[in-house]
Amino acid sequence: MEIKHVKNELLFKTNSWTFIAILIGLIIFLPISEVFIQLFNPSESWPHLKKTVFSTYLINTIVLTIGTGLLSTLIGVFCAWVIACCEFPLKKFFEWALILPLAIPTYVSAYAYFDILELSNPILIWVRENINLEAMQSLNSFFVYFFTILVLSSVLYPYIYLLARASFLKQGNQLIEAGLSLGHNINEIFWKIALPMARPAVFAGLSLVIMETLNDYGAVKHFGIPTFTSGIFRTWLGMGDMSGALKLAAYLMLLILILLLIEKKARSRARYHENSGSNKPFKKIILSRKKSIVTIALCSIPFLFGFLIPVFRLSLWAFISQDVIRNISLLSLVKNSLFLSVAVSLLTVVLALLLVFSAKYFQSKLTSFTNRFAILGYSVPGAVIAMGILLLSAQINKIYVDIILTGSLLILIFAFITRFFAVAWQPIDSGMEKNCKNINDASRSLGIPAIFSLIKVNIPLIKNTLITASILVFIDSMKELPLTLILRPFNFNTLSTATFDLSSQAQIVESSIPALCIIMIVAIPLISLNLKGKNKLQ
Amino acid sequence: MIKNLKKNHFLLASLLVLIASAPISAQINLYTHRHYDSDKILFEKFTKETGIKINVIKGSADQLIQRMISEGKNSPADILLTVDAGRLHRAKEAGVLQSINSKTINKNVPSEMRDPDGFWYGLTVRARVIVYAKDRINSNELSTYEDLATAKWKGKIAIRSSGNIYNQSLMASLIEANGSRRALRWAIGVRKNMARAPRGNDRDQVRAVAAGLADIAVVNTYYLGILANSKEKKDRDVFNKVSVFFPNQNNRGTHINISGAGIAKYSKNKSDAIKFIEFLTSPEAQETFGKVNYEYPLFIENNKSDLLKSWGTFKADKQNLSILGIRNSEAVKLFDRADWK
Repeated sequence: MEIKHVKNELLFKTNSWTFIAILIGLIIFLPISEVFIQLFNPSESWPHLKKTVFSTYLINTIVLTIGTGLLSTLIGVFCAWVIACCEFPLKKFFEWALILPLAIPTYVSAYAYFDILELSNPILIWVRENINLEAMQSLNSFFVYFFTILVLSSVLYPYIYLLARASFLKQGNQLIEAGLSLGHNINEIFWKIALPMARPAVFAGLSLVIMETLNDYGAVKHFGIPTFTSGIFRTWLGMGDMSGALKLAAYLMLLILILLLIEKKARSRARYHENSGSNKPFKKIILSRKKSIVTIALCSIPFLFGFLIPVFRLSLWAFISQDVIRNISLLSLVKNSLFLSVAVSLLTVVLALLLVFSAKYFQSKLTSFTNRFAILGYSVPGAVIAMGILLLSAQINKIYVDIILTGSLLILIFAFITRFFAVAWQPIDSGMEKNCKNINDASRSLGIPAIFSLIKVNIPLIKNTLITASILVFIDSMKELPLTLILRPFNFNTLSTATFDLSSQAQIVESSIPALCIIMIVAIPLISLNLKGKNKLQ
Repeated sequence: MIKNLKKNHFLLASLLVLIASAPISAQINLYTHRHYDSDKILFEKFTKETGIKINVIKGSADQLIQRMISEGKNSPADILLTVDAGRLHRAKEAGVLQSINSKTINKNVPSEMRDPDGFWYGLTVRARVIVYAKDRINSNELSTYEDLATAKWKGKIAIRSSGNIYNQSLMASLIEANGSRRALRWAIGVRKNMARAPRGNDRDQVRAVAAGLADIAVVNTYYLGILANSKEKKDRDVFNKVSVFFPNQNNRGTHINISGAGIAKYSKNKSDAIKFIEFLTSPEAQETFGKVNYEYPLFIENNKSDLLKSWGTFKADKQNLSILGIRNSEAVKLFDRADWK
């Protein structure tokens, strides 16, 4: 932004609204800025890291990201296409069943499949005995990557499925019918019309998949793939070198930034010709018997791997370890998780609403600018944000000796807001842009007080968006692990920390009970979200 | 009505959590890496005997130490409890522990299992042993940790990642015993002998041996106890296919590690905290650790667990365990250089 603009902004657009919004935006950004500042601190182990493990981290991270991205896209787009545009038996069931894997956090999925690699043992032994050790070892590495990618993709593809499905439904009517009437067959329509048109949606979903992959710690640790995120933990905690860890974190953020830029470019180019036209239900392609069977089989695979098998195994384990329920005081875990997630989702939505509204209503560029900083948290792994918070509270503790910040519920909630602010901000921002822009212009020129406009006009108009945003934040908060793990107060355990605690003390079977609770609690709003999306689009 | 009441209680409780950091009499705050039933039983017993309540935060030791650093003088922690001597040493170096001197504790804890300056004390012992496939390996083929780097074990060893603290501590003890150059050569040798790239926890290494993927594995005794007593038959079968070997019996002894505790530097309940450590090191508590959690007592010969007894007695490395912490970051770096993942 140019200096002149800033001056104008300060002179004409600063009022209590924008001032508070800018302040809040910056406060939300604070923990992340702590990480950036650390970049310039010297780290004694950095030369060692660069020489030995850096390239391994980089390569593994890239392989995992590309693999998971590709597989998730493949599954997500295929399912979205057949659900949105085809008619076949059981379609109604798959429509929501295919979303359910999203209820399973990646670390829980990894625990549910903790022994999946044992399946490859007989093959590996055969190869060792009949070919040689080296062949077996390469095959083993292949299996490790393959299964990790499989486990991650099977719970992450719904991001792409959901967004691509919405896009296909939106275009459906005019374009697909036009294509058909022009004599193109269904394959051509998919490749030449539907897929290119859905590209922004697919990329948006893909970027979520990628961020989740990069954020994952539990699964890669379990399967033994050293990535940036596990490298951060190893350097920070294993070598006791926080600034080295933060340098790794900075490289990870750089990688994310590059990916986001690519995504943004892909999206902005395509947005140009997106059609928001009529959303009438359109004639679906009716699949033949043979094709229906194939489609049903293909749709079953992600549902089976991503949901049914893990839930089935966890239930089985929960059954044989019922006695644990007494020891882990399940009720208080559920209460804590719910309390935390509800508090975080409400606060995040309220703050996001305030920030978006202040920026849009007063057309304050400075506020929009600081908003962009506030939403960075979603692309930063939870562990990195936790490090930022620890640094921040250490500094505050030094100045005001009486305040103790770490280990209070307040700081944990703040950390969550930093991490998930974008989740609420994105839908509210686009919702307000779409629905409230003109009416806000009008009310501003009529001199109606902003607070009145916000409560009487904006909130009712984007009520559904607000509900969706709070559900999304709620779901993410329920599944969150590293932040809570590092920052939780005394005697405060949630379902996710209990799952991790039990499994890290080698009691994967026992950890099934809190894990199942997370899945069940998250599945409910997830299904309601699906219904909402459907109503809106059909 | 009841629902409302409950809700209010909950709100009240969360409010209390928000404001409470002021010390209330007769309670101690514990930062612990351990999450075992044995601990829970012992905590309850301690509270019953003394009336001192125990508040717990569980987390990985490293994160807890970071947290104590950032809390500084305001830290509510009274005791830090970890599962590795290396981390206790790190806590000492980070300045979050304080030195104490209790005759009872000094009597209860052998000198090599506590900090020379009194900053931390061992509570339980685990040995890092070699397990081997009963049907393929004869115990007289095994001898020392050093031997694992020789070519005869090519493609036969299962061992977990170097990110794991137990491996780092084993490496630290090897650096101390043989010097860093030989330790690095050892790490390279073992890496070349691995049946597969490292992954999973100690139990997964035993599983690999049972499945025939590897012939020997390096694991902690504690994990063998978990396998032997697992609720899943599959796990118990795995355990039954292997035997335990204590390496280095003819020289310095098998590498051991401790779970241990130290008093927080800014503890506001120091005398109660000392009482607690005295209690945990008492012979009676030591027996509970062994029976419920398959850990050796501080005086290994007093071991009363039938499972641990069945593996026979062994000679433990008498090196002071603070060395595991002093050599830790060197160990990590050597692992990196050896390309041991």
